[in-house]
Amino acid sequence: MKLNWFTRKGIIYLPVSIFGWLIFAAALAYAVYAFIDIDSRSHSVSDTLISFVFNLLIVGVTYTIVAYFTERKPALRGE
Amino acid sequence: MKDKNEFIKEMENLQVPAADPSAHHQNSVKMAIMNANRSAALGAWLIAVPCYFLLCVFVYYYSHGQSNWFEAMFNVIDNMDNTPWLDILAPIVLFILPIVCIIINVLAITHVQYRQVGEARRYREFSFTIRIRWWNVLLIVLSILIITAFIAFAMTESISISK
Repeated sequence: MKLNWFTRKGIIYLPVSIFGWLIFAAALAYAVYAFIDIDSRSHSVSDTLISFVFNLLIVGVTYTIVAYFTERKPALRGE
Repeated sequence: MKDKNEFIKEMENLQVPAADPSAHHQNSVKMAIMNANRSAALGAWLIAVPCYFLLCVFVYYYSHGQSNWFEAMFNVIDNMDNTPWLDILAPIVLFILPIVCIIINVLAITHVQYRQVGEARRYREFSFTIRIRWWNVLLIVLSILIITAFIAFAMTESISISK
């Protein structure tokens, strides 16, 4: 099954369809929620940032894995 | 008419590239199993978290002069208790993802072939080819270093607990 939800620019995957944008929005929303959640429980700015960047990278990895499997692949010659 | 003559003269004086049919050419296309650029892009993300973690450990180690490397590692993990599901995520993110990174990048730059060659196919040949794609090689080396660091940490921790 061909899913053309994302396109790759270097190491960044950009959404190109409605499902792609939904996944991107969900990742962004979770990142904002994670920041608020971590900030409410942490004791200092550095504590917040260290944990948040860790979370942000995990969200980025998950998003990239989804995008990797649903990426628009270049058309082969003769297709 | 003049243009036509000039054109014919130009065509006659064209330099023909030399092609030697007896020269040795590659007789097979060596296709890798995975696309090298896609593997490098995914691999960079897969080792981003362990690299960030090791950077935190590095900063902690240099800002706390009396602690050793593994103690710094333990304290950074301890400081990240705000991260949800850290207990489940830590082994996956810090150990399994670099292994996946190694696998996909190795598949992107290697080509393995097994065939029978020679007269009447008497000999068996196993050829293993590695394409030099520097980004993929760099990601493989970094992943190996990360895994080595975490194995060393796990061994040190288990030794110190058993004592």
